[in-house]
Amino acid sequence: MTAREANPGQRPRRSIWRSNGAIAAYVFILPYLVFFLVFRIAPALYAGALSFGDYGLTGTFELIGLDNYQRLFDDPLFWNALRVTAVYTVIAIPVTIAISLAMAQLCNRMLRGMSVYRAIFFLPVVTSPVLSGIVWIWIFSPDGPLNWVLGLVNVPTVNWLQSGFWVLPSLALVSAWMNFGYDMLILLAGMLAIPQEYYEAAHVDGATAWQRFRHVTLPLLKPAMFFVLVLETVRSFQVFDTIYVMTGGGPVRSSYSLTFMIYDQGFGYFDFGYASAAGMVLLVITLIVSLIQRRVMRRRDS
Amino acid sequence: MTVTSGLPESTVVTPEAPTRPTKSRRPRRQRLIHVVLLAAALITAFPFYAMVILSLQPGAAVELPSSLMPTSISFDAFRDALASQSIATWALNSTVYSVVSVVLVLLFASMAGYAFAKKRFFGRELIFWVFVAMMMIPHHLTLIPQYILVSEMGGLNTMWGMIVPTIANVQAMFLMRQFIQDIPDELIDAARIDGAGEFRVFVSIILPQTKPILATLGTFVFLWHWNDFLWPLVSQQSPQNYVLTVGLNTLQEQQTPLATVMAAAVVTFIPTLLVFIVLQKYFVRGVMMSGLK
Repeated sequence: MTAREANPGQRPRRSIWRSNGAIAAYVFILPYLVFFLVFRIAPALYAGALSFGDYGLTGTFELIGLDNYQRLFDDPLFWNALRVTAVYTVIAIPVTIAISLAMAQLCNRMLRGMSVYRAIFFLPVVTSPVLSGIVWIWIFSPDGPLNWVLGLVNVPTVNWLQSGFWVLPSLALVSAWMNFGYDMLILLAGMLAIPQEYYEAAHVDGATAWQRFRHVTLPLLKPAMFFVLVLETVRSFQVFDTIYVMTGGGPVRSSYSLTFMIYDQGFGYFDFGYASAAGMVLLVITLIVSLIQRRVMRRRDS
Repeated sequence: MTVTSGLPESTVVTPEAPTRPTKSRRPRRQRLIHVVLLAAALITAFPFYAMVILSLQPGAAVELPSSLMPTSISFDAFRDALASQSIATWALNSTVYSVVSVVLVLLFASMAGYAFAKKRFFGRELIFWVFVAMMMIPHHLTLIPQYILVSEMGGLNTMWGMIVPTIANVQAMFLMRQFIQDIPDELIDAARIDGAGEFRVFVSIILPQTKPILATLGTFVFLWHWNDFLWPLVSQQSPQNYVLTVGLNTLQEQQTPLATVMAAAVVTFIPTLLVFIVLQKYFVRGVMMSGLK
């Protein structure tokens, strides 16, 4: 598609090359484009190449075909990383979205102090995951506040981050705490866009508050919900900072996610080719997920 | 990250804008909502409270619940943290990394955004499509090639080596383009007729018109960089080059006393809090715009 076809009849037609706007346009784009080509496009292409090769520490590079992928699919570590990433995603997404939806519904009204509430809910979003992770390590520690509260109600205490079973739910909880404020605002924006008349009509028809939520809010909130779902999926597949800070992939690799594997193989063992192959798998998964989500959305629209 | 074109600024909902009136005949329900919101706010804020309280009790064994309602406080941990040469250096590195990045990202993103929004040129659709497609590629995949590249350029352990790869920010350019599209062409044409050149139009028409989005984006970019961890972690190997997030993690790994770690955490947190309080309006608006398709 040429630029001219894309914008029919907006401006008097003239040759793209002769218009003085084009040269200025290139000048304006140039700095951005240079950085983009060198530090985004080239690394992306290079990552693909790396995954088919062996990068020596001395800077030598040798193509070895599909060996890295062969090794990856034979590696229990890789299948463990996929499982960890999948389990984490399956736990984190429903928890985060449920909390975000509930808080958006509660915040969708004029009450005194509402802006203060919203600001507090949003504060974890702007906080560094490293900082959040450090405080949450203390909250999850054996003598920490979480276990103290559980002890009050006589629930057996757990060593959250040292338990192979509880470590992923614990990390998912931190993720929910960090991100619900963001998702809440997006859902809130979606709710505020719903015409008030729909609620009035439902009210006249005698719908209860729950029915209004179920039959008016939820269906009309679908685009915002979808946006949040995509966001959370990408976030969950790419979680890294909190895992690095809080568990280091442990205990016994129970939180060794795909991103952690890429980091560990790359910068722990300096096996750049192998790490890039794992990275390509992450890319493929990301693409598949977004394709599925796009298809689902199209079906819903029609 | 779509700002609906044609959506006037005034219809973008901010949390301060009046929302639906609640039925005043249901005060009991209102009270209940207040109770739930208050509980949720307390739980959300608890980690911050804990961070501050723990930083104020150096040397003391942490005992619950009495530690959370301390009878005495001491600023020794802060004195130690701030006296430590490394934390001051890390704070300076974080500041340079964030501030320089904000300036460069905003400048290049607004220039490119302007060209994409208002100029017709050969290859526009293709370049733009490539930009958008690149947003799909996970940062973790390009991390290693970026590392190799910066290493080859001699940029490891340097400030520029840390900053430069983050400059071409796709989301920022995308947002600028969306916003500049809504600036009326007539404004630009009028400046043209008055004899303004390309550069003049950009500086005296486009930039002033984009102030709100520059503030929003500047806040985002500042916090992205201030909180960034992975890239500074791999690109800076000696402790005097660490940024605060990396340094904070190192303190924690080294079994530093809890109060000192928490004091360093508070130091890391204060700029975030200040930026958030001052620019909250812009930040929240930016998030809400990204959800409105």
